[in-house]
Amino acid sequence: MDNREAKFILSVYRPDGQDASDQRFAEALNQVRRDPMLERWFGASVAFDATIAEKLRVIEAPPDLRENILAGVKVSRPLRWSSPLLRWAVAAAVLMAAIVGSLTLREMTRPRLSGWQTQGLRTITSLVDGQSSFDVHSQSARQLVNWLQTNRAPVASKLPRNLETLNSLGCKTFLWDQELVSVICLTRPDGGLIHLVITKASAASDLARRNEPQLVQHGQWATATWREGEMIYMLALEGSRDQLRTYVL
Amino acid sequence: MTDFQDLVDRQYTALFRFALSLSRSEAEAADLTQQTFFLWASKGHQLRDTSKAKSWLFTTLYREFLGRRRHEVRFQKIELDDAREEEMSILPNVNALDSAAVLQALREVEGPFRAPLTLFYLEQFSYQEIADVLEVPIGTVMSRLSRGKALLRQRLLSKEEALGNKIVSFQSKKKGESHG
Repeated sequence: MDNREAKFILSVYRPDGQDASDQRFAEALNQVRRDPMLERWFGASVAFDATIAEKLRVIEAPPDLRENILAGVKVSRPLRWSSPLLRWAVAAAVLMAAIVGSLTLREMTRPRLSGWQTQGLRTITSLVDGQSSFDVHSQSARQLVNWLQTNRAPVASKLPRNLETLNSLGCKTFLWDQELVSVICLTRPDGGLIHLVITKASAASDLARRNEPQLVQHGQWATATWREGEMIYMLALEGSRDQLRTYVL
Repeated sequence: MTDFQDLVDRQYTALFRFALSLSRSEAEAADLTQQTFFLWASKGHQLRDTSKAKSWLFTTLYREFLGRRRHEVRFQKIELDDAREEEMSILPNVNALDSAAVLQALREVEGPFRAPLTLFYLEQFSYQEIADVLEVPIGTVMSRLSRGKALLRQRLLSKEEALGNKIVSFQSKKKGESHG
């Protein structure tokens, strides 16, 4: 082992001596003992490292960070998905959506959705089926919006007017074509679910470049897509466009 | 909540320091720290070996940081071979600099080298622990720490020169003698 190799290995040697008995350093440390110049370099290097560590150790976290962490996690704590009430609510919603969906099936057209929209519907189905879980559960949509904002996920500055009064279930984010997409799931007064999917307008297809909501029936899904500023929104429910229309107009 | 609170009390300052060295602002560092603990609260129970909680937290924070930077400008490629050998052998007089200046110098070191440096200096992580957190081989840790330290010295020297302080060289007593 030459001195260059010894220096390379000793660059990860911790200044407080914790690594003295680590066999990976043994040969390099022997080299240090044999070569006075290397020994001097090593002594100065360890002293330098110790000083840097000491200087950096005085950095304190912001005084309110600890409380914010504890309070934030408490607020965001998942509701028990296994709670009987919630399970019944979701089961009822799925059943109702399935009935409504089957009744309207014959009237459906199958226009194409953009990739992020299709993936959004898949994500929603997966959430409702219990095959995936929300990132955050909360009955307050405002809390979900705050959480998404905090985590720099796409989000509306305010929810569409008719959604503001609804209770929410939770939200989830996913990546589509390297763009983050947010999904917020809410409960409708009739027991069904309605979902708001949000992403950057740059992910949009021609369907979604308009400011006026474009209502589309896609299988059992009714969707309304519109653009507002730099964001693009898709509101979706399992049901008819008429059911959806009340939430967008 | 008590176990979680204990974990927060033990690790939040260290995580914040790590985040601060990686990110651009104190606010972003606080946000990264908070997000990391949120992820722990959501997914930490999946970790079977609770003794690895600290490593999990640092790894998660680093992944979060990388995820947020994914779409931003890639780290500038650094060719350390361009640095002169004598510059790499010079140690700045760190005592002349305050903690803020040292932190600033660390934050000026390019990303791939900054993360292992921070774990090494702030948390006294072993090379194995750094490799685990950053998910890179031990040889890469050694390489990045070796280069990172040289880059940090350069940054510190610049700050010291700006202050007009004296530079202390390893080679000052036996100039020209080769020992590498």
